[in-house]
Amino acid sequence: MSRRAALRAAACGFGYLGLSDLLHAADNPLSVKQPHFAPKAKRVIFLFMHGGPSSIDTFDPKPKLYTDNGKPLPIKRPLAFAGEPPGPLMKPMWDFNQHGKSGIPVSTLFPTVATCVDDLCVVRSMVGEGVDHGAALLQTFTGSSTFVRPSMGAWTLYGLGTENNNLPGFITIKPALSHGGSKNWGSAFLPGAYQGTAIGNAGLKVDDVKGEPIEYLLQKGFTGEEQRYELDMLQNMNRRQASLRKNDPQLEARIQTFELAFRMQMEAPEAFQVEKESEETKKLYGMDEDVTRDFGWQCLLARRLAERGVRYIQCTHSYKWDQHSDLFVKHSQNAKEVDKPIAGLLKDLKAKGLLKDTLVIWAGEFGRTPVSQGGNGRDHNPYGYTTWMAGGGVKAGFVYGATDEIGYHAVEDRMHIHDFHATVLHLLGFDHKRLTYRYSGRDFRLTDVAGVVAEKILS
Amino acid sequence: MMLAAQAFAQDQKDEFFEKKIRPIFATSCAGCHNAKLKVAGLDLTSAEGFARGGQSGPAASKLLGVTSYDETLKMPPTGKLKDEQLADLRTWVQSGATWPGATATTQAEPRPKNSREFTDAEKKFWAFQPVQKPAVPATKDRSWIRTPVDNFILAKLEEKGLRPAAPADKLTLLRRVTFDLTGLPPTEEEVKSFIADHSPKAYEKVIDRLLASPRYGEQWGRHWLDVARYADSTGNDEDHRYPYAWRYRDYVIEAFNNDLPYDQFVREQIAGDLLPAAHQGELNRRGIVATGFLALGAKALAQKDRTKMFYDVYDEQVDVVSRAMMGVTLACARCHDHKFDPLLTKDYYSMIAIFANTRDFASKGSKLLFRPLVPKEDYERYTQHQEMVNRKTLEIEDITDEQVDKYTSSLVPHLAEYMLAARRVYADNADTAVVAKETGLREDVLKRWVKYLKTNDKAAADPSLDEWRAAAPEKLADVAKAYQQRYEAERVDWTKKMDKWRARFRKMTAEKNMPPPPKPKFEMEKDPFFFAVTFRGPFSVGKADRDKLMPEETKTRLAQLQTELKTLKDTMPPEPDMACAVEEGDPVDQKVFIRGDYNSPGPDAPKAFPLIMTRYDQPPAIEKGSGRLELAQWLSKPENPLTARVMVNRIWQGHFGDGIVRTPDNFGKMGERPTHPELLDFLASSFVESGWSVKSMHRMIVLSNAYQMSSDIPDDTMQNDPDNKLLSHFARRRLTVEEIRDGLLAADGTLDLTMGGTLQKGFGTDSENSNDRLSLRPEDIPRRMVYVPLRRANLPTLLNLFDFGDATTVAGKRPLTTIAPQALFMMNSDFITARSKNLATQVMKDSPGASARLRRLYLKVLNREPAPDELDAGLSYVTNFEKKFAAKRTQSDAWFSLCRILIASNEFIYLD
Repeated sequence: MSRRAALRAAACGFGYLGLSDLLHAADNPLSVKQPHFAPKAKRVIFLFMHGGPSSIDTFDPKPKLYTDNGKPLPIKRPLAFAGEPPGPLMKPMWDFNQHGKSGIPVSTLFPTVATCVDDLCVVRSMVGEGVDHGAALLQTFTGSSTFVRPSMGAWTLYGLGTENNNLPGFITIKPALSHGGSKNWGSAFLPGAYQGTAIGNAGLKVDDVKGEPIEYLLQKGFTGEEQRYELDMLQNMNRRQASLRKNDPQLEARIQTFELAFRMQMEAPEAFQVEKESEETKKLYGMDEDVTRDFGWQCLLARRLAERGVRYIQCTHSYKWDQHSDLFVKHSQNAKEVDKPIAGLLKDLKAKGLLKDTLVIWAGEFGRTPVSQGGNGRDHNPYGYTTWMAGGGVKAGFVYGATDEIGYHAVEDRMHIHDFHATVLHLLGFDHKRLTYRYSGRDFRLTDVAGVVAEKILS
Repeated sequence: MMLAAQAFAQDQKDEFFEKKIRPIFATSCAGCHNAKLKVAGLDLTSAEGFARGGQSGPAASKLLGVTSYDETLKMPPTGKLKDEQLADLRTWVQSGATWPGATATTQAEPRPKNSREFTDAEKKFWAFQPVQKPAVPATKDRSWIRTPVDNFILAKLEEKGLRPAAPADKLTLLRRVTFDLTGLPPTEEEVKSFIADHSPKAYEKVIDRLLASPRYGEQWGRHWLDVARYADSTGNDEDHRYPYAWRYRDYVIEAFNNDLPYDQFVREQIAGDLLPAAHQGELNRRGIVATGFLALGAKALAQKDRTKMFYDVYDEQVDVVSRAMMGVTLACARCHDHKFDPLLTKDYYSMIAIFANTRDFASKGSKLLFRPLVPKEDYERYTQHQEMVNRKTLEIEDITDEQVDKYTSSLVPHLAEYMLAARRVYADNADTAVVAKETGLREDVLKRWVKYLKTNDKAAADPSLDEWRAAAPEKLADVAKAYQQRYEAERVDWTKKMDKWRARFRKMTAEKNMPPPPKPKFEMEKDPFFFAVTFRGPFSVGKADRDKLMPEETKTRLAQLQTELKTLKDTMPPEPDMACAVEEGDPVDQKVFIRGDYNSPGPDAPKAFPLIMTRYDQPPAIEKGSGRLELAQWLSKPENPLTARVMVNRIWQGHFGDGIVRTPDNFGKMGERPTHPELLDFLASSFVESGWSVKSMHRMIVLSNAYQMSSDIPDDTMQNDPDNKLLSHFARRRLTVEEIRDGLLAADGTLDLTMGGTLQKGFGTDSENSNDRLSLRPEDIPRRMVYVPLRRANLPTLLNLFDFGDATTVAGKRPLTTIAPQALFMMNSDFITARSKNLATQVMKDSPGASARLRRLYLKVLNREPAPDELDAGLSYVTNFEKKFAAKRTQSDAWFSLCRILIASNEFIYLD
């Protein structure tokens, strides 16, 4: 018997299902579900640096690049994005200093994040396959650069359900419309209920977004009282109609979604009222300065959503990090925009006791080459780059993996994007091989037919 | 190295192996490549295993390549070996790669075979058996039978001791069949005339009317477009527009409206360009357009690995053809034989061969192929003329640019001075004219600097000016200088680029026959300050001012060129119609790619169709051409075991919500088995007998009693047929997003029924953060939804909300969800508000009494009369609402609210 049929049969004997039943009912795609084993992380905040920040200028120091600055690339260049031949090796434009008890080096691009370094698990051996942005984003978020697959947020929601029915379970704040666009937060063949809800997009300023963060969320004409009055009439009508049509739980299910929606529109807007935070908190996220105001808002909103039980939150720092030229000026500017907000988020999560079960991920779609492009830029490098994680079950103040001595290829404890996904799912309580969905005659999973959990980074 | 290799004596070699090489294999390779797992067919734990090698050949020949990390395949995957280890491996391989104790080299592991013996179960699997028309079963109750469909349904029910549900009432049936066949509700007049028609043919007349309506093709064309994963852009990374996709969409709609025989429909979509036109000597326009089916898939245009990109495109084509038309998931056999179905990797690559010999791109690069729908000569005449216009335009620009550039050169050295002077004006309120006079700067330019630098609107402010704005007063001079230096540096780059282009352009225009090279465009993102200053702001020159910069002789020359350009434009031949389509490509000898990797070619894969399906009717070998024509003919043969079955199942599903096979795109082992196999075959053979007429199938189905049953679910049915697999009642279904939207626009009379054409503007794609990357909002367009163009990467929220799917892969069935955000759309969206207000205004204007108004609303939205208790409830709602909120609300608000209630109701959205 199918789930729906089982529910129908139940409805036959027990009459209406109550609202709370519905939230846990087999028919509600978002009801809370138990993972395979006890999770270390209950939610994810993904800070995405769109464009590809340079690892060798931020978290992966390469002394060899200083000594060999200007020398030709000593290895055969792998498939590159740039059409022209590779330039010479180019040393980092920023100095590295060791920080914290762990002594993990961070470049002067991230002075404030550096103060949180003892909370970070720096993965210096990421490997992807996409040399262009589209392929790299799609693989980072869906596992496949070739086929349309559900995004990791959608898998998370599919696996865990949501704890707060008044908010979407998967929210992406100002995502990119390019390089795969909504496929990067879509549900592909998973039911639509698991897709991400976008708050604005990368082309908009925070001020354009604040008014109505979620489409259709706000009632613009009627007062709450008037709308409730209208809704009561609607529900009477619906109940009358259902009573004439026995044994069909989908009718009652839809009645309940209106109740849920009514509560959602009453309660969800509050989550977006970032302005209500104290001046001190806003300052922590850099919201008092022009340069950090927008990303600060995104990070602070992420914390508010995390507190309210949203499973998977993504903040995108719009397509700014793609420095084929003008690396020094642009990377400085970009880092300045995010450094304080990110550190603010980490400190705030920690202070509120949220960091222990929130997995924070900082990543671009790839890193950048050790060779110069046009003298003052770097090309895309998916063969060995750095991301870091913090909180939810990863070792703190820890460095994992390594690239070769010029930072082109990952050579030690390579973490392919499939391995990265397997590890994130593990932290959320899933055996990535068992979190599957049957579509078109095949059991699909986020990690396709690959993926190895990076055991060494688990705390 | 050579010396070392020569110097090795056997035992030294053995020792070297044991000390250096075996440990590498043991620690870095044997985790996967052991006798048990044999990943990639390779075992590196024994001499025999090493000698046998793996799927990609002998181990010794691959060892150095894969460990060097220079090839696509990089081993070990956990990290590159250390340099010493690599050196040792090299030494060992160069000295002969002998494994101590190895006997003579054994045979390499057999490579994938081109065929294999199918098991009995595979051979007998139902979907691969030929269709045989079964006898129509007898039933105890003969009175229930209207079309042969009923015999099959009732026989099964009787077998289980069940009764079919009672007939649906007249208006329920009218609403059901009108939505099913046209995607729209019945109009008030249609409801009234159906009630009034008491003839036994009343229902049949309705069916004839609906099938003849152009709205039918829009609804059923849309179903096929789901299967054909139709959209108007490439999706994936760059999301380039398919500017002529709409012609394929219009072709599909027309095909359904004209009841184009399905076999012909299949042939045209695979190989229409190769089929003769209706009239001899003409271009087969329709056929070319039809191949949009193959051309319109998602594509990763930015993929740098071009070979991979091409094979992903062919893969996508195999996937869409096999699932849409054959109901099998052949693309699962890309890397290995299909895990569940008797589909071989060889079958897959033999189909790939057909598409590898088909062209999808205009050149080796990533330019999409657009095919003209006019004779070649006409098209060439047009493009040549267009090129002349283009060249002339560029010539004019070139001359203008040069003059503007001279002028800008004179200003650049004073950039910092301009910034500082402008600041005195906007910050210290000095007078522009005075400052200009004092500094010796040009007043007009200074004014523009003031305008550019002074802005109070933070949101609109250029972030590249942040540094300027934040500078302390004593630092201003330095900062301005820095801006000037950066500007000068950028200008050097830009000038270099432009000079290079100019030289090439002039050379090419001189040699008249060469098309001009594309003119470089400065990307704003590269340097917003430079961009603004040069092209938009203080140093730019408006059209009106350009003349002033020109010497007289240049002016004369320009005027002459302008006249020439005008003449060219006036004599421009009409723009030829174009299509997104495919054509025959260059010949390629396709191989099987081992594990799906094109770097590992295996045996030949000549163009052919899956073996398991060709056992009854071995098609001849494909000698020349891509093989699309042969594929089209093979697919559309009556003997093909799947083509007719798959399509009648889709038609059945369109009426009953579920197919006879409930996995419409997968008839394989992992798909579901038919609930009524004999019925499926009966329909399939009737379909072929009718000349593949889709409309005949509709008629046979909707005229049946099975279709006309009530959707009430009796208690005993719940126990005995909980999933309605026996079809004991009609399955209530939720309207699709198109039916909801179009239906409501129809209800309030605002639906624009214009057919065809495109609403998509432009070509190519947009800049990364541009909102132009979003699809148009269906809420803002009054046309039927099927005509709203879709950008794959960013579908409209409304479609995502109501389970439209992703328009990227074959979607024969949309999974439906019921979630709170859908309710929010009903409660709060401007679209629903507008529909409700329109309806309220209309009934208030047209009908004097409250009861009459309410009756009309029920007719318009729910397509029936209200019951007496509903009438009472509705009327008191209006009265009470008005009374309760009298302070702020009027009677119209009350009616508006009631309209929204009817629209949001379960009865509207669930089709009984």
